[in-house]
Amino acid sequence: MMRRKQGTMIALAALTLAFSVAGRAEAQGLLFWSTQAKPVEETQKMRTEVLGGFGKPVDYYGNDAGPFFTRIQAELKAGKGTIALLGGLHGELASLSSDLVDLKDVLSATGDAKINPTLVSLGTYGTAEQKYLPWMQASYVMAANKEALQYLPAGADVQKLTYDELIAWGKAMREATGSPKIGLPAGPKGLLHRFFQGYLYPSYTGSVVTKFRSPEAEAMWNAFKMLWEEINPASTNYGFMQEPLLTGEVWVAWEHTARLQDALNQKPDQFVTFPAPAGPAGRGFMPVVAGIAIPKTSPNVEEAKALAAYMLKPETQIATLRATSFFPVVEVTLPDDMPAAVKMSGATVAAQSAAPDAKPSLLPVGIGGLDGKFNKVFIDTFQRVVLRGQDVRQVLDEQAATLKDIMTESKAPCWAPDKTSEGPCPVE
Amino acid sequence: MTSLATTEAEASARAEPRSSGRLVMASAVIVLVAWVLVPIYLLVVNALGSVAAVTAWPKALVPEFDLASLAFFANYAGVPRALLNSFLVAGLTMVLSIGLGAPAGYALARFRFPGANLFRLAVLMTRAFPLPLLALPLTVLFIRVGLDDTIIGLALVHTTLAMPFAVLIMASLFMSIPEELEEAAWTLGCSRLSAFRKVVLPLALPGIAAAGIFAFVISWNEVFAAAVLTIENKTLTAFLLQSLDVSPLPLKFAGGAVLIVPALLFLFAVRKYLFSLWGIANR
Repeated sequence: MMRRKQGTMIALAALTLAFSVAGRAEAQGLLFWSTQAKPVEETQKMRTEVLGGFGKPVDYYGNDAGPFFTRIQAELKAGKGTIALLGGLHGELASLSSDLVDLKDVLSATGDAKINPTLVSLGTYGTAEQKYLPWMQASYVMAANKEALQYLPAGADVQKLTYDELIAWGKAMREATGSPKIGLPAGPKGLLHRFFQGYLYPSYTGSVVTKFRSPEAEAMWNAFKMLWEEINPASTNYGFMQEPLLTGEVWVAWEHTARLQDALNQKPDQFVTFPAPAGPAGRGFMPVVAGIAIPKTSPNVEEAKALAAYMLKPETQIATLRATSFFPVVEVTLPDDMPAAVKMSGATVAAQSAAPDAKPSLLPVGIGGLDGKFNKVFIDTFQRVVLRGQDVRQVLDEQAATLKDIMTESKAPCWAPDKTSEGPCPVE
Repeated sequence: MTSLATTEAEASARAEPRSSGRLVMASAVIVLVAWVLVPIYLLVVNALGSVAAVTAWPKALVPEFDLASLAFFANYAGVPRALLNSFLVAGLTMVLSIGLGAPAGYALARFRFPGANLFRLAVLMTRAFPLPLLALPLTVLFIRVGLDDTIIGLALVHTTLAMPFAVLIMASLFMSIPEELEEAAWTLGCSRLSAFRKVVLPLALPGIAAAGIFAFVISWNEVFAAAVLTIENKTLTAFLLQSLDVSPLPLKFAGGAVLIVPALLFLFAVRKYLFSLWGIANR
């Protein structure tokens, strides 16, 4: 009995060893290492519908930022890599920019595709080289359950909302239903820091860094405290607003277009999307740009470049849009059978950027690895001012000092909406 | 009649403290069982439910069998392969940590040698450093020596993580087996090795198996090293977990079920070894 068991154990061990050695021999496709299209459904569509048409096998992996950076940094350090192609946000690729292959020749090889020139120039990081090629873009918009519309304050147009009207709207909904009905993604997986950087600050101060501690910013935080009264307290747990919107826990939300698509696709008749509200300084909004880059350790630069060019074809861009709800970076005519989420948020993104008072605000440029610290300044300020009720002036002064250190350390010049600066962007 | 009633009342009065004790015991058991079973129940109901049923409340008692969410994973390229990898890595981790942990545990239990305490501490120290901190240099090293993206390489890392438990569990296990038994075997003509094989090992086997199962579970649940050290040979946890936390709810539940059901089945299959470890501890 005992002997037989031992025999089984040994057989099992031998089998395991045999398998683990055999597993090594399998053929590998081009490895596309990305931080985007991470949800399993999107990954699946990227693999079959987008990359399936390339003609050669491509392995697409969506990663958390931690493993993404650890892996690529290890490969760069070891000087030998398996990752052929990188996909990431403008801010993420920035910290790797000195280890990326110049992609200028790919750009000239894309032929008649009209690539958005603003986005192309973003991909140079101010150098003479094309560090990354724009891949896809998105933005953050507002979404509302149609039941909420009846509580809109008199005279307010949901397509041209202001922050004051949003507060009044929230108050009306809370009084009518007994619980706050506005939601923000303030959980650990949420993107609330982008709300402050790309929406609130530009709308109230017309700046992100320079006027961080200005009197306008002080007024802004006080207004936001009033808005917070109308915000569902469960917001500090929300990651993706599509879920509380679907369950009806929240009626009005601000969120990334990709993180709204489930709600809009499942119940297209239940929801409306509209541009973010405007503040005294304009309608702040943040376009999000993802790019494709090739690391210097790529095992097959030529094929990786061919794949990068393939990703910019109008057909591929439309397939990518279907897969991820990220919008094309080249000029395309959209077919009529797009999913509801794409139609709704596409129209809203266009309306938002075309609004007469639009105040576009870019993702941080040139702060590289300090990106996380930069975001933390805004989240810390939010937590101290709103959640802990500390004095606005004092918190702003203290956080401004941290912000100034980040700017001095990274030597990053100002980016939109702040006016360009010589040397590091000043915090006044 | 009255006398009968009195005795009954007396009996129930006498039984009262015991029955209230039982009530506390029973409710504690129920709470503990529910603690484990309710999440699994919700996971299964939601994994089997349709997309609409997942966001609905209250939940149906008996799950409906809408396999759409689960079918997604059956068609998701790489899941069977990743599942196999998970079993291979976890199996190898189990074998390695028993192979290395059992002798180490035996030595700690039976011999007095200089540095025994230091060794005990050093084994524990492997858990003192967070993996994300070690991952970068480790990956660089693995790429250079060619261990990168291999099942053996990952199993080695997981073995390091499982080692403290394996060594400490097995040290206390061997300590609980009386040395006299071993000495008796020596007097009857056994060498140190054959005494270990014929006397100590059969007694320790269930405990060793339990330590191995522990190693299996640690390896099964580990994400970060698996996500960074492997690419083509990802384990199921590394393959799915990063994507699941940002996936829609129905897929989260289905993926969660895909992740835990194989591990649950494995634990169920080997449960008798786990229980027999308690048997040893009680002896």
